Amino acid sequence: MTLLDVQNLRVTFDTETGPVQAVRGVSFSLGRERLGIVGESGSGKTMTGRAVLRLIRPPGRIEADRMVFDGQDLMKASDREMRALRGQRIGMVMQDPKYSLNPVMSVGQQLTEGLRLRDRIGRAAAHAKAVAALEAVQIRDPERVMAAYPHELSGGMGQRVMIAMMLIPEPDLLIADEPTSALDVTVQAEVLSILDGLVRDRGMGLIFISHDLRLVSRFCDRVLVMYKGRIVEEVQAGNLLAARHPYTQGLLNCLPRIGGPRAPLPGLDRSGAWAQDNGGTR
Amino acid sequence: MSSLRLWLTDPNPTSRRQARLGQLWLAWLRIRRNSLAMAGLVIVALLVLVAVFAPLLAPHDPLVQDLGRRLLPPGTPGNLLGTDDFGRDILSRIIYGSRITLYIIGLVAVTAPVLGLLIGTVAGYFGGWVDAVLMRLTDIFLAFPRLILALALVAVLGPGIENAVLAIALTAWPPYARIARAETLTVRNSDYIAAVRLQGAGAVRIIAGHIVPMCLSSVIIRVTLDMAGVILIAAGLGFLGLGVQPPMPEWGLMISSGRKFLFEQWWVATMPGLAIFIVSLGFNLLGDGLRDVLDPRSSQSGSAPK
Amino acid sequence: MSLIEIDNLSVTFRAKGREVQAVQGVSLTVGEKESFGLVGESGSGKSTILRAICGLAPVSGGTIRIGGKVIPSPRGRDFSRRVQMVFQDPYASLHPRHTIDRTLSEPLAIHGIGNSDARVMQVLEDVGLPTSFRFRYPHQLSGGQRQRVAIARALMLNPQILLLDEPTSALDASVQAEVLNLLNRLRAEHGLTFLMVSHDLAVIDHMCDRVLVMQHGRAVEELSREALAAAQMKTAYARSLFDASADRLLGPTPEPVK
Ligand SMILES: Nc1ncnc2c1ncn2[C@@H]1O[C@H](COP(=O)(O)OP(=O)(O)OP(=O)(O)O)[C@@H](O)[C@H]1O
Ligand SMILES: Nc1ncnc2c1ncn2[C@@H]1O[C@H](COP(=O)(O)OP(=O)(O)OP(=O)(O)O)[C@@H](O)[C@H]1O
Ligand SMILES: [Mg+2]
Ligand SMILES: [Mg+2]
Repeated sequence: MTLLDVQNLRVTFDTETGPVQAVRGVSFSLGRERLGIVGESGSGKTMTGRAVLRLIRPPGRIEADRMVFDGQDLMKASDREMRALRGQRIGMVMQDPKYSLNPVMSVGQQLTEGLRLRDRIGRAAAHAKAVAALEAVQIRDPERVMAAYPHELSGGMGQRVMIAMMLIPEPDLLIADEPTSALDVTVQAEVLSILDGLVRDRGMGLIFISHDLRLVSRFCDRVLVMYKGRIVEEVQAGNLLAARHPYTQGLLNCLPRIGGPRAPLPGLDRSGAWAQDNGGTR
Repeated sequence: MSSLRLWLTDPNPTSRRQARLGQLWLAWLRIRRNSLAMAGLVIVALLVLVAVFAPLLAPHDPLVQDLGRRLLPPGTPGNLLGTDDFGRDILSRIIYGSRITLYIIGLVAVTAPVLGLLIGTVAGYFGGWVDAVLMRLTDIFLAFPRLILALALVAVLGPGIENAVLAIALTAWPPYARIARAETLTVRNSDYIAAVRLQGAGAVRIIAGHIVPMCLSSVIIRVTLDMAGVILIAAGLGFLGLGVQPPMPEWGLMISSGRKFLFEQWWVATMPGLAIFIVSLGFNLLGDGLRDVLDPRSSQSGSAPK
Repeated sequence: MSLIEIDNLSVTFRAKGREVQAVQGVSLTVGEKESFGLVGESGSGKSTILRAICGLAPVSGGTIRIGGKVIPSPRGRDFSRRVQMVFQDPYASLHPRHTIDRTLSEPLAIHGIGNSDARVMQVLEDVGLPTSFRFRYPHQLSGGQRQRVAIARALMLNPQILLLDEPTSALDASVQAEVLNLLNRLRAEHGLTFLMVSHDLAVIDHMCDRVLVMQHGRAVEELSREALAAAQMKTAYARSLFDASADRLLGPTPEPVK
């Protein structure tokens, strides 16, 4: 059962100094499962996620041979249809949560806005639902956080508020762009178990974008490894740590370890054939 | 030429001057891609040129009366747009009138936004009672319709072009203060402001160097969009006899004197009206286009629209 | 003698009549040229401690001493030349309308230091950014490059102490390695003292000599690097942090937990 099918997705930015290809022909399909996307900074992970929601601002262009979500062709959908999908059926947790929250609106207002406008839920009910969502993401003092402005939150709290906001409308597909990068390991585990529950119980599809390879290998079902806008490797998550591709290996080797030596960490060696511009196995 | 262009578009400039000129060049490229903004820019540039070269362009002296040639219709040889009730050439008066319009716009544009920015950013940055006092003051000014307030001010100060400008500027700043304060509130708690504070910067430096640039684009856009309104208020004051005094060829004044013949000799009031319309349109289009140009991120970043 | 001494520090935010006790009675000392880590639950007040040292958070109790002297409030220029901070979020800590050049030369302008051209080039080289990036805007840089600019800015005034708030949590593995190596190299070359927040125990272990574990605004336990690596923690919370970081341990890669 495929929820999302993407064939040959390309994202190009026409800048004054010539076109920049951020995503060059990415293909994948997603069922009701947890798909991880990893890769170094600038490899096009975020742009892939945004392209699915058609959230690329000009001068960026999206092209794809096929991009179908639950029977609906996303390339042909009107702006109105896209707006109806975004947030409601496809949610996206943005990479820079504090930047994506409105700095002059309280967290509570932002959480309940959608509920009150779109779902026409009463004030008290919307409030209760928002508080419950915050509690679910391990926020200790939800009433205070509801009244707080984004700058009064810690980095990890902002991230969790963003996740709560995306989960309230109960989407069918969630694109989570580095959703847990600012969370400590214990809270992270809780948040991941919520996402996990949604995939298992409600059959949500999850695209989990992250640079934390160990986390992805533990949490996801399947992993795409991206480099320079291409998918260089697709592996079952459990096998990621034993991945053969030199790029994936290189990324794994850069990680420090508890009890490891203090010597400088190895960098990523880009001299291999895979690193050349037309490299990539797809 | 092409080496100059290469120098300007060099993605890795080597000096501060080259970087700055390169930015300007990119802004120009962006505005050139936007045809409506270009149309606005052309209109505004034409206004400036006409004002500068008025004595060369105008076929007649705008003040000389010729009662024998009163109220001639447009198309009359020698008077392309016709003449008014004193036999003055309307085209020449419109051409000279552009100088007055430009003078008023220029003065208002350098006073009102500066005042508004100052008050808005100070109120937003310091907050507390400073904010309360300054914003109540702004509210008082906003509570009156602009034209009425300008009228009251001119009535006190006495008619004349400088007083009209002063009155318009004093009534135009509150919206800029509001915008600047709103922008300031969104940036004052950000980490980059905390970072300069940590480097030991004082309030003046933070406001002028770090907060004002964040407010500037919305204020500039608002200014260009407001210019149409400023022209109309200046015209309105002229129309009521409180701004520029006859026989100066001010557009509003011309409409006012043509109103008496609106039905028989429509062109006397219509021609300056058209001039006001075109110039207002020009500023509006330009304002819309600047919105896209002034944000250095707008053409390159991929961050989502909120 | 310790360079930074924090004694019984409390920070209370007041917003709309509510009181938020972000930090309650935390004490710590950091020796000269030492690297000290802070870990703990999200929202436990780690960033707030760093901000309190910089005078960016309302201290409601306790004292902060640097070099044996209580730091004045407001902090003043001498303080900025001595202590600098790298903020948690590289996307929010650079002015979006200023070029890298402007961001880096601003501290020099504030302190009236000349020769900014050469110093900017020098510091860019120090943090390993090509000098051709000098006139770019932050949005033209990746997260890791931005973080390096933020580190470069903190180095402009040649401080003695660097406060690092999750300097690598937004970065991918290869860039994290670059930044950590850079920080270690700079510490060795310039004799810096680090006070560093992270939630990745492996990063803390790689960088720090001692670490303080925090929860709910309070200090839970202080561990040496050896105790951390040997899992000799006494409190339940510190242990739970360590256990949840099992995949970051040295040794054979653990079986994926499902
Ligand atoms: N507006 C733009 N103009 C030109 N290039 C752009 C633009 N926006 C993004 N890019 C480029 O697109 C590429 C992919 O960026 P993307 O944000 O998807 O990376 P990422 O994999 O999410 O990295 P990170 O881990 O740092 O978030 C980058 O190389 C970036 O330089
Ligand atoms: N300006 C503020 N006004 C009110 N409360 C604040 C403010 N800044 C921080 N807080 C509160 O103080 C507490 C501690 O925040 P802090 O940023 O220090 O957490 P942290 O340990 O850095 O967490 P994280 O790992 O998520 O970044 C949080 O509950 C936060 O909501
Ligand atoms: Mg990204
Ligand atoms: Mg923090």
